[in-house]
Amino acid sequence: MKDYKTLTTREMFALVTLLVGIKFADTTPALLAQKGQNAFWMIPIISFLIIFPSFLLLIYLLKRYKDKNLVELLEKVLGRFFGKSLGFLLFILAYATLIFDSRNYVEQIKLLYYPQSPTLIISIVFMAVIFFCAKRGFEVIGFTSWIGLPLIKFAVFLLAALIFKEAVWNRIFPIFGSGVQVIVMEGVKNSSIFLEFFLLTIAYTAFKDTKFFRRGSYFGGLFVIFEIILFFLLYTVIFDYNSIDKIAFPFHEITQYINFGDYFTNIETFFMVFWLFAGFMRFIILLYLITWIFGAVFNINEFEPLLFPFAFLALMIGVIPENAIVNELIIRDLLLDISTPLFVLFPFILWIVALCKGELKKT
Amino acid sequence: MFHFFKKAKKANTQSKPQKNNDPIRSSLKHNTEHIKQLFSYGTNKDFSYRDLIAKYNQKEMSLFYYSSIVNGDKIYEAIIRPLLEAEGNELKNVVTVESLTEIKDFDEVIEHINSGKAILFQEGTAIAFSIDVAQFQFRSIGKAENESAIKGPQEAFTESLNVNISLVRKRVHDKQLITESKQVGKRSKSEVNFLYVSDLVNDDILNNLKKRLDEINTDSVRNVELLEQYIEERPYSIFPSIHYTERPDKAASYLEDGYIIILMDNSAACLVVPVTFWSFFHAQEDRYLRFLYGNFTRAIRLFAFYLTTMISATYVGITNFHSEMLPPDLLLAITASRERVPFPLIFEVLIMEVAFELIREAGIRIPNPLGPTIGIVGALILGQAAVEANIISPIIVIVAAVSGLTSFAIADVSINFTVRITRFIFIAAAGTYGMFGLAGAFLVWFMYAASLKSFGVPFFSPLAPYFKSPGDTVFRKAIKNEIWRPGNLLPKDLRKKRDSTSK
Repeated sequence: MKDYKTLTTREMFALVTLLVGIKFADTTPALLAQKGQNAFWMIPIISFLIIFPSFLLLIYLLKRYKDKNLVELLEKVLGRFFGKSLGFLLFILAYATLIFDSRNYVEQIKLLYYPQSPTLIISIVFMAVIFFCAKRGFEVIGFTSWIGLPLIKFAVFLLAALIFKEAVWNRIFPIFGSGVQVIVMEGVKNSSIFLEFFLLTIAYTAFKDTKFFRRGSYFGGLFVIFEIILFFLLYTVIFDYNSIDKIAFPFHEITQYINFGDYFTNIETFFMVFWLFAGFMRFIILLYLITWIFGAVFNINEFEPLLFPFAFLALMIGVIPENAIVNELIIRDLLLDISTPLFVLFPFILWIVALCKGELKKT
Repeated sequence: MFHFFKKAKKANTQSKPQKNNDPIRSSLKHNTEHIKQLFSYGTNKDFSYRDLIAKYNQKEMSLFYYSSIVNGDKIYEAIIRPLLEAEGNELKNVVTVESLTEIKDFDEVIEHINSGKAILFQEGTAIAFSIDVAQFQFRSIGKAENESAIKGPQEAFTESLNVNISLVRKRVHDKQLITESKQVGKRSKSEVNFLYVSDLVNDDILNNLKKRLDEINTDSVRNVELLEQYIEERPYSIFPSIHYTERPDKAASYLEDGYIIILMDNSAACLVVPVTFWSFFHAQEDRYLRFLYGNFTRAIRLFAFYLTTMISATYVGITNFHSEMLPPDLLLAITASRERVPFPLIFEVLIMEVAFELIREAGIRIPNPLGPTIGIVGALILGQAAVEANIISPIIVIVAAVSGLTSFAIADVSINFTVRITRFIFIAAAGTYGMFGLAGAFLVWFMYAASLKSFGVPFFSPLAPYFKSPGDTVFRKAIKNEIWRPGNLLPKDLRKKRDSTSK
């Protein structure tokens, strides 16, 4: 039978949810809580408000230029050289995110469950799984996300329901934590926690109809922001401002707090399995998208063979930082700060250039 | 690789059997000699021939056939006796058989004799007559032994093509049900019949199947079990890509959904293409049972699927790496039972799993009278004695028994192997890295399955990718609410149930 495109809204929804939504379960809350303290749950709202207009603008441009993916759009608007350069820059930042985030996940797995195992070996296993799965192609990644999503989200909301009784709601006060200014600044600086939204646009034309992409990304975006705020709020009301910035892995921390009836008292491994699935899925999607961007920038149509070198390189660079603290608090923090302006601004640049060239007036 | 193909091709052209397309001559003597030589008359004991002089035209005639595959009474009643006794003006008005074909060369003669026909030569005529008197022996229609059902028809296919087609036609009264046939095999030619409903089937899939049948290049393909391996897509994959069933009612229900079924002589089963994961997961009885009962069965089977692939691996993973997860009482019970066992846990699990596989394999091969031995050896030696000798702990016996027992709930023979092999992969993964390894292995396994296609149809469709379908995947809808045919096959007519409002 002929090949046909099968991805629809539901797969896009699942991709967005898995790619961005897992942020509440890694070290992002710990990172944000360093400055935001008990009001850190508001940071994603600010970030979202900052980044979503840019994303909508990008979607608008993609819609206007029809049947172009991210890199093709950049080229079309900015010309060959500048388009490709900007594409390459996006690739570098996204790849750096992949490398240091994956190290971050490996550290979480190691510290929480396999303290005696060498980082390198866990990294190899982790990357091997990601590589073999990513190799199956974008459609399969989409289906798997969709099939896996209900299970993963079931586990997540079960966790939220079980932890609810531990919450002390007065802990959200003072409502703005250490000040409105800090929250806003942090929100703006860390907008790039949502940068994966932009990466997904490389797959704009891979869907059955581009409207599925748009619809999926809107629903997914809203769901993700709801989920992130819910969990950040839960962390705030459970840990309070004193301990929140000292806890490195709040998600895993709360899985230790809960029990399921009197008999099952240590069920963190249960949640760890679903967290692992979500984590694997996130990096599978990320690796695939990044390789895709690279392929598009350098006109490599058959980019799937590149997955292996990229996975290998990510593994090798990922093990360089000496420990989790350096990786998280210095490199990743810096990376988020650097990538924010670029990701927030480039859709505007595109829009202005397109406007000046008069290409948006056609209809 | 290329080099290899080239070589293989060359070898094939050389070994092709010699063609025998000599034309039939008008001299009876020549024809008789030639055919006797072709079939090694005299050495070949069941190759028979009979000379006679026909009464109606007083000409000499010779009749050739294999006595072992024809109906002797029919030859006497419908050919020899009329020829000797009856009057008439030409042959077709003399012999009293239902099919009489004229053939022109010896190639055809050979083919016809091999497929159970009698060939009649006549002096002075350069054609031969082929008369269908075939009577191959086969088993009578029996009960479906391997896919048994409590509620539902009990008939199973048997090793005769015609009987099998009749079993299918009995169920599908549709003039569009086509039985097409192709010959496979270079030396011993066998007939492959594929059945489809022509106004449902997707032509791409049909043409793909025909192409694969044409591409078979081998001496002989005796039955569908072998044919499956010639036309499947991924010979080395752990997932099957063709469905194999012995139930005609299942075949009929597939036909009505736009699938193609393949039948051959010598097989008490048919092949169904294309497949999805769900074909292997479902049993036909799920549909015969009422909505709730059928879905309960499905739920049990899904659970069995999970248990059989995962329970041993989970046990290894949790007790080795995440023992904090176990409730203290359970942990103590496990530790206490393992106290005197000398082996590491994973080794213990492997011993039991391998032992179970051995019992299973031996149980299939063992001659019937010796059957009970297996029970004694299995239960006493492996279960009780091994525990008493402190080779394995009692809990492992339970775990292995559950994982073995649940594998029988996965009835389909092909997917059953997939599941059993998968179990060992998962045990190895969990033994190396606990739940992390297991989750990784599962994800790789699952995504590999999701990427498979059988004749262009994705393995987990119509669930993912989504298609309009009867909604018969993990669970099924009430039969009345099934509106569509499986859309993942892109059938010509998607709607199963006519909407009463539309017309």
